[in-house]
Amino acid sequence: MADQANTPLGRMLLDEITPAVMVLRTPLVEDICAQNGVNLVELLSPFCVFNNIDVPVRTANDQPYRLHKFKLRLFYASDVRQPNVEVAKERLKKVITFAGENDVSDLYSDPPLPIESVLNTLVVVSSKDEEPINKFVDLLNTNQLPSLLNDGAMDPKILKHFLLVHDNLDGTPEKALKVLADMRSTFGLNACRLLCLNSSQDGLADHQENLWAPFKSDASPGQRLGCFLSMEDLDELTDIMQDLSSKLIIPHMEQKIRVLNQQVSATRKGFRNQIKNLWWRKGKDDTPENNNGPMYTFSSIESQIRVLGDYAFMLRDYELALSNYRLLSTDYKLDKAWKRYAGVQEMMGLTYFMLDQSRKDAEYSMENAFTTYLRMGSSGQRNATRCGLWWVEMLKSRDQYKEAASVYCRISGEDPLHSAVMLEQASYCYLLAKPPMLRKYGFHLILSGDLYKKCDQTKHAIRTYRGALSVFKQTMWNRIRDHLHFHIGKWYAFLGMSDVAIKHMLEVLDCSYQSKATQELFLRDFIHIVQKTGKTFEVFRLQLPIINISSLKIVFEDHRTFASPAAVNVRESLWRSLEEDMIPSLSTTRNNWLDSQPKLMQKNYKESNVCVAGEAIKVDIGFKNPLQVSVTISNVSLICQHSATADETEPDANSSSSENQNDEVLRKLVSSRELNLDTSSFTLSEVDISLGGGETIVAPLTVTPRVEGVLNIVGVMWKLSGSLVGFHSLEPNVTRKKIAKGSRKLKHSKSSNLKFLVIKSLPKLDGVIHHLPKTVYVGDIRRLSLELNNPSEIAVKRLKMKISHPRFLNVGNPEDINIVFPACLEKDSSAPSNVKVGTEKILDTVFLFPEDATIHGGTPFVWPLWLRAAAPGHISLYITLYYEMGDLSAVMRYRTLRMHYVLEVHSLIPKMTISLVDITLIEQYQKHISTKWNSMC
Amino acid sequence: MATTACFMIVSRNDIPIYEAEVGTAPKKEDAAHQHQFILHAALDIVQDLAWTTSAMFLKAIDRFNDLAVSFIHTRLMLLHDSRNDDGIKTFFQEVHELYIKILLNPLYLPGSRITSSQFDTKVRALARKYL
Repeated sequence: MADQANTPLGRMLLDEITPAVMVLRTPLVEDICAQNGVNLVELLSPFCVFNNIDVPVRTANDQPYRLHKFKLRLFYASDVRQPNVEVAKERLKKVITFAGENDVSDLYSDPPLPIESVLNTLVVVSSKDEEPINKFVDLLNTNQLPSLLNDGAMDPKILKHFLLVHDNLDGTPEKALKVLADMRSTFGLNACRLLCLNSSQDGLADHQENLWAPFKSDASPGQRLGCFLSMEDLDELTDIMQDLSSKLIIPHMEQKIRVLNQQVSATRKGFRNQIKNLWWRKGKDDTPENNNGPMYTFSSIESQIRVLGDYAFMLRDYELALSNYRLLSTDYKLDKAWKRYAGVQEMMGLTYFMLDQSRKDAEYSMENAFTTYLRMGSSGQRNATRCGLWWVEMLKSRDQYKEAASVYCRISGEDPLHSAVMLEQASYCYLLAKPPMLRKYGFHLILSGDLYKKCDQTKHAIRTYRGALSVFKQTMWNRIRDHLHFHIGKWYAFLGMSDVAIKHMLEVLDCSYQSKATQELFLRDFIHIVQKTGKTFEVFRLQLPIINISSLKIVFEDHRTFASPAAVNVRESLWRSLEEDMIPSLSTTRNNWLDSQPKLMQKNYKESNVCVAGEAIKVDIGFKNPLQVSVTISNVSLICQHSATADETEPDANSSSSENQNDEVLRKLVSSRELNLDTSSFTLSEVDISLGGGETIVAPLTVTPRVEGVLNIVGVMWKLSGSLVGFHSLEPNVTRKKIAKGSRKLKHSKSSNLKFLVIKSLPKLDGVIHHLPKTVYVGDIRRLSLELNNPSEIAVKRLKMKISHPRFLNVGNPEDINIVFPACLEKDSSAPSNVKVGTEKILDTVFLFPEDATIHGGTPFVWPLWLRAAAPGHISLYITLYYEMGDLSAVMRYRTLRMHYVLEVHSLIPKMTISLVDITLIEQYQKHISTKWNSMC
Repeated sequence: MATTACFMIVSRNDIPIYEAEVGTAPKKEDAAHQHQFILHAALDIVQDLAWTTSAMFLKAIDRFNDLAVSFIHTRLMLLHDSRNDDGIKTFFQEVHELYIKILLNPLYLPGSRITSSQFDTKVRALARKYL
C-alpha cells in the first residue's frame, strides 16, 4: 500500500482526493489578507498540507491505524458548483498558449475535478466587523450558500468551524478576545478560534519566497507576499489549520464513517437485505431512460453509501471504500444511472490501484467507467477525459506505456486543441515504451502537430514536428520527409523566421518523385518565402538544378591551341603522334648546358596546368532539372580565385577535403567578388538558361585570366528565380573530372586540374581553311586557302605544318592563289609549273613555310592548299601548325595550332549515269589529274 | 465502391523498395504521405508482434481511423479499408511469388529499389483482381 502511495498516481490521488473545505468570509477579512498580497484561500492554502502529522484513526471495525499525511482543499462558497466546461476550455487554451511562448516542452492538462460531495465549512469573520456573532449567523444563512447544498444533492448539516480574524495593525486583540468568548458560548467551545494577523508592524517580514507562490495563479515575481506576517503569525496559522484537520475534520469523518457503516450494514448487508433490495429494484424497471438516473438526495441510501465510500477512501481505509463502491455500482447499474455508475466504477478502479491487488480488476473498472462515460455522449466527455487520465497514470505507474498511449488516443475527442495535447502525450508514451516505438512516436507527434496548427498554435506545431523530424531524419520514406520539411518550413515562414524556413524548404526542392502539382506547390511556396524576405540568400549545394559533375569539361590552351571545338575533342595521343617530329623536345632546344633556357615552369608550378593571360578557359557544366516544372536560372558563372604567386594561395584551400572549409573559401570568394568586379584579375562570363522539365543543359562558361599568377577554379554559382544564389564547389577530391585535353601533367595528382598557372600574354594564331567542302566526289580537286591570323603585335615565325592525310590534302605554292582554277589544269600548260619558292621538303609530310614568313598585327597570311578526294569514305583531316614566338623572352617558345576537319567523299560511280559520259573520257581525266597532282606535290 | 489500398515492400532498415497506390479511390494529394505515415508507424507493431506469433499473415494488426494495415512475412504490407480478408491473403501470396521472382533475378541487388515495370503492372493487375 505504501508503494502505491509513492507512485505518481498515488501521490496525485492523495493530493486531489482530499476533503474540501468551503470558506465563508466577510469583506473585511479579505481586506486584512489583501495587505499581504494574497486572498484568504491563498493565505491559508500553504498551511493545509500536512506532511508529518500523526493522527490515530480507527476503521469501522475498530482497527486502529495512523494517518501521517493529510491535505485539505479550500474553496470559496462561490466556487462550489459544477465546473463550467467553457471556462475550462478557455483555461486550457491560455495555459497552452502561455507554454508556447515559453517553449515548455511537456504539458500536463488536468481539467479541474468536480468537487467531492464532502464539505466542511470554515466561517471567517473579522474582529472589526460590527456584531461579529450576527455576521457568523448571516454567513451561514442558506440563501448565500451554494445551490448544491440547498437542492438536496448535499447534506446541509455539515461541520462548521468559526474563525475570528484580528488585524494587529488595528490595535491589541482585547476586543477580539471578548468576541471570542461570546462565540464560544454561542457556537461551542471547540469550534471557535481567534487568528491574529499582520503582527509585523513595518511590513518588511521576509519569508521563504515560494510559500504562497504555488497557490497564487497570477503572482508577479517582484511581489512580496505576506510581508505583514511575522513568524508568530505563521506559527499560529499552522496551528489553527492543523487543529482544524486533526481535531475536527478527521474525527468528524471517522465518526461519520461509523454511523454510516452501521446504517448501511443494517439496510443493505446480509442475505435478507440483498433479496429485498433486488426485489425492490426490479419494480423500478419501467422508469424512463435517463442518463443521470433517478435523483438521489443526500439522505437516500445510495448517496449515503457513496459518502461512506469517499470518506473511507480519504482516510485511506481502502478495503471499506471498495466494498461500498462495489455495493453501490450494482445499484446504479440496475437504476441505469450511468453517470453515477461510471463514477463509482472509476473510484473502484482507483481503489483497486491503491490496494495494489488485482490489476485486471482495476483495469476492468477503468475501462468500464471510461466506456460508460463515452456512451453518454457529449455530457460525459469531460468525465471520460478525467477518468482516462487517471487510467493513463495507472498504466504509466505500471510501465504499461503502450497501453497508456492507446488510452491517450482514445481520450482525444472532438476538440482539436484537447486532442492535440492528448496525442502529444500519447507519443511520449510510445517513446517511453519498452522497446521504444519510435515510429509510432513520430506519427503521433505529426498528428498532434496538425491539430495544434488547426488551433493556430503554430509554435507547438513546429515543436512537435521538429520532434518527429528526429525520428524521420534519416528515413528513406521520402514523402514523409518532404511533408515534414515542407510544413516546418511553411510554419517558420509564417512566424517570420525565414532563415530556418528556407533551410527546411531547401530539403524538399529535389522531389522528382512527387506529382507535378506538388512540385509546383513546393517551388512556388519556396520562392514566395524567399521573395518575402527581400534578401538574396546564398545556399551551398543548392539541389536545384542538379550539377552533373561528371559532365564537367574544361578546355584550356597552353602551347597547344585549337582552331575549332571539333579539334578539342580529338584524342591527345593522335595529336601527339602527328606533332612528334615537329616539336623540339626540351633537351634539344637547349643549345648547351650553360644556355639558361627560360624554363617552362618553375618546380612548384609543375602540377598546375598552364594557360595564357587573355585567353579564355572554357568550362562546360551540365545542369539538370530534376522536376517536371520548368526552372529558370540566371547569372550562371564560375567562381575563381586568383593570386599573383603560388605561395599566396593558402595550401589548405585547395588540398583540404573538408567540405566546410571549402564552403568558407567559396563564401569568401563570392563576397569579395562583388566588391572588386572591375579591378578583377580575371573576367567571367555569365549565361542565363531555362530548363524545361527533366531537361539537362550544358552551360558554356568561361573565365579569362588577365594577369599572370595562379588561377584556381573553385566552383560555380547561379541565381534561382532572381533571389536565391546557389553554389556548387567543383571539389577536386570528390569529383571525377574529365579533362578533355589529357595534359602532360596528368600523372600528377588530380587535385590540381582546376589550378592554372597564368603566364604572360603570348601571340596566338587563328587558322581557318576556306572553301573546304563537307562532301566531295571521288577524284574531285579543289583549291583551298589556309588563312592564318595573329592579332598580336608580336610576330610568330618558323612556321611548320603537318597534315595527317597528305593523299587528300596538300600544300600548294603561293602563286597558286592567283592562277585560274580549274583552267590551270588544262593539258596545254607546256612548261612545268614546278617553281618552288623557298619551300623545302625535308620530309614527305612536314611542310616548312618560308623562313621570312612572319605573321603579326592582324594581317592575314594566306597559303593555298590542294584538296583531292582520293578515295571514298569519311576522312578526318588533322592539321597541326607549329610556330615559334618572335619574342625570345616569352615563357613559351613555341605553340601549335591544331585544326580538324571532316570530309565525306562520295563514290562517283553510282551517282553518275554511265551512258551519258564516255568512259574513256573519265579515264583520261583521271589520268591527267593524277599526273597533275604528282607534279604539284 | 471506391477503395483505398496502398501496397508497399520494405527491405532491411525499413527502406521502402516498392510502393504502389492500388486503390480505386480517386487520388488525393495528401493521401500519399498520410499512407506512408500509417504504414511506417505500423512497422512498430509488426516488429513487436513478429516475436510472439508464428503466423505469416498478420491481418489488420494496426488501425488508423477506418484504414487497417495487414502484413505478410513482415516485409510486404498493405494499407486497406476493405474487409475482404481472403482476397488480401491471396493477393499477398501472389505478390510474394512475384517478389521471389524478382529476387531470383541475378541482376537485382537485394534491398535495392524494384524498378521493374513488369512487376508493377502485375502487382496492379493482382490488386484489381483480388482487392
